[in-house]
Amino acid sequence: MLDPRHILILAVLLGAVGLWLMLPRGGARGRAVGTVLGIVALGLWFSQSHGLGQWTADGMFFVLAAIAVVAAVGTVTSRNPVYCAIWFGLSLLGAAGLLLLVGAQFLAVATVLVYAGAILVMFLFVLMVAQPEGKASCDRMSWEAGISAAAGIAMVGVLSVAIGGVLAPSCPAMPPIVPPTQEELAAGVLDPHQVARLGGELFGRRLIAVEIAGTLLLAALVGAAVIVNQFSGRRHDGQSREQ
Amino acid sequence: MHPEIALLNDFLLVGALLFGVGLIGFVSRRNMIVMFLSAEIMLQGVSLSLAAWGRFHNDFGGQTLVLLIIAVAACEAAVALALVLTLFHRRGSLDIAAWHFLREANQPPFRDAPLPEEPAQRREPWPRLPTAGVRPETFGEENDYRPRV
Repeated sequence: MLDPRHILILAVLLGAVGLWLMLPRGGARGRAVGTVLGIVALGLWFSQSHGLGQWTADGMFFVLAAIAVVAAVGTVTSRNPVYCAIWFGLSLLGAAGLLLLVGAQFLAVATVLVYAGAILVMFLFVLMVAQPEGKASCDRMSWEAGISAAAGIAMVGVLSVAIGGVLAPSCPAMPPIVPPTQEELAAGVLDPHQVARLGGELFGRRLIAVEIAGTLLLAALVGAAVIVNQFSGRRHDGQSREQ
Repeated sequence: MHPEIALLNDFLLVGALLFGVGLIGFVSRRNMIVMFLSAEIMLQGVSLSLAAWGRFHNDFGGQTLVLLIIAVAACEAAVALALVLTLFHRRGSLDIAAWHFLREANQPPFRDAPLPEEPAQRREPWPRLPTAGVRPETFGEENDYRPRV
């Protein structure tokens, strides 16, 4: 039972049951049990990760990763959509902290600005327009909670086993992995002038990609305006078309 | 294990977990807003993996891709919210099951399971105030326009 893969499989099974219990299923109970199972599964799953060498880096990583993942589970399982949006903001902050930890400073700031500053506020705005009374009956039910929890968690299990197998040093199918040294990183991704380097890369080698992203944003803007304008004259007239 | 490989491993694991949780939410939740929040969580998981790979290969390509993901997420949010607002105006509900008639012809119609009543929350009683002032003048039409007032 001490084989790492067995622990991983156990964590996956516990996580599936916990998520199934946590998802809204009408009047069914068991959220507290599901939460406990999910926390146990998360602990088992994180126990399979490897240390980063320093306890400060380890501690930061575990705290931020736990914030990101627990808040993501909260987003998925909350009954009230406003709470879903707030959990989502917390998950974003955890993910931005993880991006800082990996050395992507600009991306961390851009994530907080764009997601938490713009997208999340827009979601809350639509929520306030459409469903100001909070919970609706559709938030208390979910489609096939058991099957979807099992499928998603099984995918997580397959992915993590595959990641562990590929990155293990004894994998015969792969050429030997040569990680970068600290000197190479300091001259590359972890340069003190990292944001300037990223900007130079964006507007030098990747200029076409930036242009395409700008065109995509323009197209989405026009598309959103067209979609809203096209149907704005009709309200609640779709009832008669059903069946 | 080399610390850089350990870092990559841990970040890929967290990215996979975020992606899986978002996938579960997108498949199983019925509120359209929550479905799109779940899709954004999946994008976050992929962003983490890309940033970790970029560091491992000592290349800015990963971070460039994450920037593209952020741009695509902004586009997705704009179009998705326009669609959600339109669908809400057509049906008066954010429930995705209100559109179940778009199913294929050989599928049975969706029937909502009867929900047990939510236990009523205890409300603090309003304080009783002494009657003061005069009743404001209202117009008959105003009640039609503002039914919640």
